[in-house]
Amino acid sequence: MRRLAAEARVFARSTWLQYVALFQWATVRGYFAYKVLLPITQILFFVELGVYATGRQNALYFALGNALQLTANAGIFGVIATVANERQFGTLPLLLASPANRLVTFLSRAAVNVMDGIVTVVVGLGIAIVLFGLDLHHANLALLGVCVVVISVTTAGLGLMFGSIGLVMRDAIIIANVIYYVMLIICGINFPVSRLPVVLQIVSYSLPLTRGVEAARQAAAGASLGHVSGLLAGEVLVGVLWALGGYLVFRALEGWARHGGLQEAY
Amino acid sequence: MRSLARAALGSFRLAVRLRVVSPWSYLNWLVFPLLFAAVGLYVLGGRGATSSHLVYGVLGGGLIGYWSVAYIDAGNGIQDERWNGTLEQIFATPTPLVVILLGKVLAGLAFGLLSFLPTAALAYFGFHAVLPDLDPWPFVISLAVLTFSFFCIAITLAPLFALWRWAFSMLNGFELGVYVLCGFMFPVAVLASWAQGVAGALAPTWAVRALYASTLSGGPHDYALWWGAVAGLSLAYLVGAYFLYALVEREARVSGELALA
Repeated sequence: MRRLAAEARVFARSTWLQYVALFQWATVRGYFAYKVLLPITQILFFVELGVYATGRQNALYFALGNALQLTANAGIFGVIATVANERQFGTLPLLLASPANRLVTFLSRAAVNVMDGIVTVVVGLGIAIVLFGLDLHHANLALLGVCVVVISVTTAGLGLMFGSIGLVMRDAIIIANVIYYVMLIICGINFPVSRLPVVLQIVSYSLPLTRGVEAARQAAAGASLGHVSGLLAGEVLVGVLWALGGYLVFRALEGWARHGGLQEAY
Repeated sequence: MRSLARAALGSFRLAVRLRVVSPWSYLNWLVFPLLFAAVGLYVLGGRGATSSHLVYGVLGGGLIGYWSVAYIDAGNGIQDERWNGTLEQIFATPTPLVVILLGKVLAGLAFGLLSFLPTAALAYFGFHAVLPDLDPWPFVISLAVLTFSFFCIAITLAPLFALWRWAFSMLNGFELGVYVLCGFMFPVAVLASWAQGVAGALAPTWAVRALYASTLSGGPHDYALWWGAVAGLSLAYLVGAYFLYALVEREARVSGELALA
């Protein structure tokens, strides 16, 4: 019990420290630019593109998809930066030298960004309601909320994986950019996954978001938990697997860095 | 004059070399355009898509890549020097700052033009999409006019980004808004009238309109009017840039605060 309390303290302290030191949007202007302007313009661009291509009647499909995809803004950009910035800021050797539980400190990287991801999606849904009249009267709002939380957690799982890989890269944020926009294509945000080639469909269902967005679309149409439980379970499983993979990569790189004294090598 | 041209050429060659080894450069001219072209072609190339829709899918990704390179790479011409710790040396040289920037911006634009190659290849090989009604000369002139507008914008943004760092964050956050207002992937005509008014103040909007018109047989083809609008707006940007460069000079040479801005 005492050990559990100690780990909880490490988790809380690590979460707080990474928030004040590594949360890359911790300025008012930065937050406004990337967490308000970007969501508005992303939704605007893809909804107008979709309306031009398929007609005004499909605006809500694009609005909902892109509002949900915004969680990747925090889950991918935020988490990758939070992990990889340890190297950029020169604090990685200190982290590796600390006796703290690696899994606890690793998972704490995602905590603030998960919360931020949920806020971003709520902002995105608000934008979709105000600008495009997204109608949620028939939606199962509680279930939609569950979907948003699940998506935020699972995308952070993917972010942990690529954040770990970013530890050995000079420009980890490039990976974040690529992953973020790839998800726009293959996760069923702007068109159904079924239109992709089979290989890409397999990739799509091995990523977070795909099942979560599908579940959220059904929740927005009024589906019950029973209808989407399979999708949500799959989404959680995918997210956990990515986070676990990230942790294993993190430990492997840590061992490699210790062995060769390469903690700060680029 | 010859020494200035040599300085601009030297700056151009150095900027090209730096871009060849920069992963960010490949992200901007290769990866980003491909990703956006893929989304565009999937969305615009759905069942029952018209050829005018597909044209936006074919060229849209390239235009987005070109713009990204123009405003990020070329627009950060002065900011890069600050990050690299070479800002003071640049100002200490007898060559005017604008000459050095000229070479850097042109190098950026040359890489930006590359964006059209992967996106056109993706459209052709991946989606069998082509430009059947392409009118070559108006197309080439419109592309040149677009390049001129991007050049003027990059020259204007360079001092702006150097003076106020937050300006880059704001434009970066608003990037997709620029795609909307300039009509990179769908016509500006689908926007609300107030948004069309805002779009009209942006030089690339008119150049992009001319570019797409040169690939479509239908619709208006008022090239002279559109090219004229681009020229007028771009020159207005340059007038604004003149004052910004004066401010940069003052911050760098008189107060010595540019490196700290």
